[in-house]
Amino acid sequence: MKPFRKYWAFARVACGEARSHRGELYARGLFFALILAVFAALWRAVGEAGLPLAARPERLVWYLAVTEWVLLSAPLRHLEIQEDVRRGDVACQLCRPVAYPRALLAQCLGMLVVRASFLGVVAFSAAALYTRELPAWSALVLVVPFGLLAALVLAELYLILGLVAFWLRDATPLYWVCGKLTFILGGLMLPLELYPRWLQVLAACTPFPSLLAGPAGFLLHGATHVGALALHLVFWALALFGILEFVFWRATRVLQLSGG
Amino acid sequence: MKTLAIARFCWALFRTNLRSVTALRGSFLLSMTFMALNNTTFFVFWWLLFGRIGSLRGWHVQDVELLFGISAAGFGLMQATLGGAMHLARFVDDGSLEPMMVQPKPTLLYALGCRSQASGFGDMASGFVFMILSGYVSWSDAPRALLCVLVSCVAFTAVCVALGSLAFWIKKSETLSRQLLDIVITFSLYPEPLFDGGLKLLLFTLVPAGFVSYLPAEVVRGAGPVALCLMLGGCALLCAASLRVFRAGLRRYAGGSRFGVFG
Repeated sequence: MKPFRKYWAFARVACGEARSHRGELYARGLFFALILAVFAALWRAVGEAGLPLAARPERLVWYLAVTEWVLLSAPLRHLEIQEDVRRGDVACQLCRPVAYPRALLAQCLGMLVVRASFLGVVAFSAAALYTRELPAWSALVLVVPFGLLAALVLAELYLILGLVAFWLRDATPLYWVCGKLTFILGGLMLPLELYPRWLQVLAACTPFPSLLAGPAGFLLHGATHVGALALHLVFWALALFGILEFVFWRATRVLQLSGG
Repeated sequence: MKTLAIARFCWALFRTNLRSVTALRGSFLLSMTFMALNNTTFFVFWWLLFGRIGSLRGWHVQDVELLFGISAAGFGLMQATLGGAMHLARFVDDGSLEPMMVQPKPTLLYALGCRSQASGFGDMASGFVFMILSGYVSWSDAPRALLCVLVSCVAFTAVCVALGSLAFWIKKSETLSRQLLDIVITFSLYPEPLFDGGLKLLLFTLVPAGFVSYLPAEVVRGAGPVALCLMLGGCALLCAASLRVFRAGLRRYAGGSRFGVFG
């Protein structure tokens, strides 16, 4: 357990830091509640126009509450890594007796705990308020652990993007692309069943559906895919962790080659 | 004379920024292209939805294309020409505003014009493409459409100034103001008929998405002089209010702690 103690400290500090940035947290919550208000209105209107899906508009608001909860809970650490690389501060981080990517992951975990708890309350209260109904408790119980794991996998993805800044200096364009892939292939706003067949097949080859549509799907289809989703998420968590370590290893090589 | 001098100064600022932002041509083109791609990807949602339902409370996909186009072009124009507006909160927080305060021209002008974002050009390009795709903009309507984009840009800038000025009262409020701006942007991209009652009132007051996109889109679609007057009047009011907030904040500004040179 001893090797994990230092990472636990990173997670605790990040947790405290996230708690102290209350303004950001509240603004995020407000943004979230308003997004849900927009979509509650949108799905009502779509319902009037004849919803082409075997789900009621209220269920779709709950679906969006979960997908947005996962998305907004994942800390955007890539921005800070990018700034560290640009300013050269990363050199101070590298000489610490901790593995940089693991420390980053621990920080993400700490921030995630605070954000996910607060935004979870906002998401579920706002969705309940707009739809005036609650989904089945059995579905909600599944959504929480799977959503948290999905947010952690998403955080891993952002960390990899941040490390790419060692080469590109500015990884923002890559983040935009990743964000939009999450948006489309993850089924952020629309369940994947509404997509054309070829897009559904394409989405299935990426981690994105397991991150958003997967956990939110429990509210639409019930607990039909628990085992498969758990496998997918664990697979992507491990795969992305491996990629994270590899990218960091390559990045330090580049740093040494260019003279540090 | 004074107005002319300020206009000349603005032009010089813009040219300098343009040279600076295009100095790294590869990076400029990459940011621009990715932003245009980003906007197109966002629109996939609407294409998929309207492909299934046809129309939404009288709005068709062309109407949403126009709304999105005006928002993107207006926001892009702001980022390209007055890109400092997005960073106002940081300037206040870290003291970058101080060197601007001792310059001969108005402080806000320096703060707004000191940056240009490459992604803004991508926003602008994709915005114009969406406006053309909507079918509402022909050659004869082009001046009116350009006026509407300009109004949208000014309204976005006013919103950014008001939100950025929060930093005069609230410390480290950059993320807060960015997220509040995101709310305005988000509302400006969804069809107005979706909202009613209190939410609609909110869209023309606290979250002024109405002046940023709804009214300009109405005017491009051929609404009468009343809508035009409302758009121009609302935008002027918004500017006056944000200027007032900025001035009030500047009066109580105690300075940051940053050493630096400017010029």
